[in-house]
Formats: sequence, C-alpha cells, structure tokens
Amino acid sequence: MIELRRIIAVVLLFLGVGVGLHLLMIPLRNMDQPADIKAMTLACGLALAVLGITGGYLVARVPKERIQGMAEHLENMVRRETMGLVLADGQADALGRLGRAVNRYMTFVKDEIEQTLLTSKERQIQIKVLEAERRHIESVIHAISDGVIVTGAFGDLLLANEAAERIFGFRHETSVRRPIEEVIADKGFLALLQEMRETGLFTPHRTLEWVQGGGGGARTWRVVLNTVTEGKKRERISGAVAVLHEVTKEKEIAKMKSDFVSNVSHELKTPLASIKAYVEMLTDGDIKDPAQCRECFQTIASETDRMNRLIENILNLSRLESGLVPLNKTDLAVTEILRDVGEVMTPQAAQKNILLETDLAPVFFRVHGDRDMLYQAVLNVVSNAVKYTPQGGKVRVSTYLSDGSVVVEVADSGYGIPEEELQRVFEKFYRSRHTGETVPGTGLGLALVKHVTEVVHGGRVDVESQVGRGSIFRLSLPAVR
Amino acid sequence: MPRKVLVADDEAPIANVVAMKLRGAGLEVVVALDGQEAYERALAERPDFIVTDLQMPGMSGLELCARLAAELPGGVPTILLTAKGFELDAPALAGLPIRRVMTKPFSPRELLAAVQEFLIAD
Repeated sequence: MIELRRIIAVVLLFLGVGVGLHLLMIPLRNMDQPADIKAMTLACGLALAVLGITGGYLVARVPKERIQGMAEHLENMVRRETMGLVLADGQADALGRLGRAVNRYMTFVKDEIEQTLLTSKERQIQIKVLEAERRHIESVIHAISDGVIVTGAFGDLLLANEAAERIFGFRHETSVRRPIEEVIADKGFLALLQEMRETGLFTPHRTLEWVQGGGGGARTWRVVLNTVTEGKKRERISGAVAVLHEVTKEKEIAKMKSDFVSNVSHELKTPLASIKAYVEMLTDGDIKDPAQCRECFQTIASETDRMNRLIENILNLSRLESGLVPLNKTDLAVTEILRDVGEVMTPQAAQKNILLETDLAPVFFRVHGDRDMLYQAVLNVVSNAVKYTPQGGKVRVSTYLSDGSVVVEVADSGYGIPEEELQRVFEKFYRSRHTGETVPGTGLGLALVKHVTEVVHGGRVDVESQVGRGSIFRLSLPAVR
Repeated sequence: MPRKVLVADDEAPIANVVAMKLRGAGLEVVVALDGQEAYERALAERPDFIVTDLQMPGMSGLELCARLAAELPGGVPTILLTAKGFELDAPALAGLPIRRVMTKPFSPRELLAAVQEFLIAD
C-alpha cells in the first residue's frame, strides 16, 4: 500500500514538474507568440510544476497533525489513568498501521491486566478464606475445654488455648514466643515437656498423669504429649503438643467406688462376724444359761436384720435412681414412722449407753408419701446419729410444723461434721474425712435420705453441725392439710 | 491370779461374745466400746493382753496400741480384729506389739486359743 502511495507521489512529481517545465519552455522557444499568451503559458507551466511538487509531497508525506493527535490522545489517557484505543484512521500508511498495531497491543495489554486483576481477586478471596479458616481453627482450639499447649523446637510457646491459660495462669498474647520456662512455673510439668523434647524421637506419644498443687486443692490431669517432628526421616523434633484433661473428679469417683466396695464388705462382715461368733458359741455349748441363750439368738436376729437393712439400702438407692421402684404413696402420719424407728433404734442406742429421746407431736402430722421409704430415710438419719455419737451421748428425735411442711428433726451430741464437708455428706459414696477412717459405713445412707426426701417426696434435707458439739438433720416434707 | 484381758470393739455384740468366750476360759475381762475408753481402761487396769477392733470411732485399734506402747514399757501384746478385706500393710504394724491380725468373721474358739498361746508365751 505504502509503495503504491510512493509511486503515485513520484509519478505526480515528475508529471507536474515535467509538464510544467515543458510549458515554460514553449514561450521561450516561440518568441513570436503574443506576449499575453506567452505569459499565460508560463504561468500554467509554473502552476503545474508547483502543483506536481506539492501533490507529490502531499501524497507521500506523514502528516504531523496525526502524530500529534495520537500523542495527545495517549497523554490524555495517562493523565486520566484510563486505558483506551488511539484514534486510528483507516489510512493505509505507516501511521495508520502503527495506530492499529498500537491498538492491538493495547487490547492485548488490557486483557493481560484484566486477567491479572482477576487472578489477584481470586487470590484475595483465597487468602480471606484461609484467614477465616485459620481463625476458625484457633477458635476451635480455644473452645476446647481441655488445655492445649504447643511449644516449638527451642521450647518456646507457640500456641495455647484459654483452658491452658486458666490452668497455668498466663496470658497467651503476652507469652507467645517466650521460653516456656518463663510462662509456666510448675516444675513438674516443665520436666514433662523437657523430657518429651529429649526423648520424643523414640517415644513420640505419651499419656501420663500429672498432679497440680497439693493438699485438698490438688488437681489431677491426664496429659497427652505428642512430639512434632520434621525432616525426611522425621529425625528432628520441631516441637511438642500437650493436651491436658482434668480427671480430678473421675479419680475421686473411682476412689469413692473402690472405697465403697471395701466399705460395703466391711459393713456386711461386721454383723456376719457377730452371727458367726454367736452361732459357734451356741454350738460349742459355751452358753448354758437359758436367758443368755435367748439373748444370743436375739443378737443373731438383730444382726441379720442389720445386714438386710444394708442390702436394702444399696438396692433401694440403685432402684430409686433407675426409677424402677413402684411407689405406694398414701396419706400417712409421720409420728407413726418415728415411733417405729424409735422402737428399732432404742436397743442399739442402749448398747452404747446413748439416750434416744423421741419427742413425738401430740397431733398426727400427715404427709403424702411412701411409708417404707420414709421409714428407711428416717431410720438412716437416726441410725447415723447413734453411730456418730460417742458413748453416753444423746439423740433427740422430734417433729413439728413449719411453713406448711412437716419437719422431722434429729439432733445428736455426736462428733459433728466439719463445715467443708456439710454439703458433701449427701453425695453417694462420700465418707466423712473427719470420722470416715474410723467409723464404718457405706456412704449410701444419707444419699438415700436425700433422694427419698427431695426427689420422691418433693421435700428438703438440711443439716447444721458443729465439730465436737453434734449435728442436727432436718427432713422437711410437704404437709397434707 | 487370773490373767486380765481388755476387749475393745465399738460393736457391742462382738465385744460381748469375745468377753463371754474368754471369761468362760477363766480369764478376767474388761470391756471397752471405743478407742478412748479402751485407752483409759488399759492405763487404769493394766491388762496382760488386748483384743481390739481396728476401726473404732475416735481412736483406732492401731492408735490405741501405739499410744499404749508409748505409755507403758513394751506396750501391751495385742490381737487386732478387722473386717477390712485386705491385709494391713506391714509398716503400719512395725514396732507395735501386735501378735496377730484376725479378720472378721472370726472364730471365738480360735481367738481364745491364740490369746492363751500368747499369754503362755509372754
């Protein structure tokens, strides 16, 4: 195309100059021509020559204005920080071609930039998703009720959750990246972590028990330790993860249960020992006096009852808790129950020279309840009072009306219960630390009393006590009007 | 002069049956129904031998034995009765004049035999 334009320009140039010069030559050669025609021809020749030069130049030249227009257009786009196409005239010359090439390139660049922007947006979304996931995982770790502590290769704290903060009493924000020895004070626990770092390659997983603190406030934790290793053959320890789960309560319950078995067997063996001894005495003929004989048989009978009561207690509590016991509720007089309990307990109290006073109300307060269960509950409280009162002491059973409830009150002059144990004496299997080592029992009696009074009859059990002075147990049952 | 035995058990039927068996064999018997009483009576009566329950309110049989050993030279030879299902650990008994630990239920016949054997030996 450009070549054609050049050829046309050259042709126009030569044509214009050639014809013009030829016309110029005519007046010079034909001197006889009139002067005005000579002048006209001369002017036409000059004009043609000028026209040829100008036409050729015009056709062949690259117009300056188009280049300037393009430049301004580009500068404007830079100034406005926009992207667009340059003004490309459809001309076939170099500038036209350049303009179109620039536009194609611009389109390519624009596509590239758009693609890059798109990719960058995708990346940003991915980063946001990852960030959200990271925060989610962190809040999951924080929400775990077990303590989680992660240390790095040099024993520095990498991560700890809120539970761990509470266990060791530190703040995660101010402790992260610090040596674990500066964060955790407990030497025993630090030794566990240290050992893990040293021997973790051979034993990467370990579960052990760690006791925090001592005395009454001691807490037992099951610690699961795992080593984090790196390298092709996992030959380097890059950190350790410790997860702490509190097992204080479980340990206590396990101990209570094992104590319970031992206590129950003790409780069963004690009356059994009496029975066996008296039977042997009788069969060996050691007892010849008929009155003494009768006493022996009575002891055997009452000790048999005692064993039976214990077994009933165990069975009833387990049945009550599983909801298997059929209830037989009627309107009944509490006074009658107290009288029956008094009859059973008076001989036992007399053996320890304890005065058992039953101060029965003149009116028969009535409650709606299961007679056998209430009998057993009251019997348990009175029998406890006798058991925990030293020789020569006093146990007083009374009943009165208070706030629409019939209250059965059992007061003793016994050993008393320390304040810190008062709320625990109703727990199943709980034995008083105060006297539990020396006084036999199963830890079931008061648990049954509480269950029967509160769950079965909608009443309430209270206790107040003074060590060395005695205890008062009150069973409040809704009165029948 | 009959030899004197102190019988201590917070279970009155047990204390009574042991007392009956030992009295039947001609021994003089003092009965106590808890650890504190046993301690006081032992100091007052100076028995030759003690048969005591392990678990008693206030003062256990072991404590009774230890306190008497601290009070009286050599202490008082003792048979310990216990309804605990397991053996007492040796360190608890070390240094105490405990001649035998018998588990409940026990045979009064065997108990008497043991008491007589130790009384002769001592």
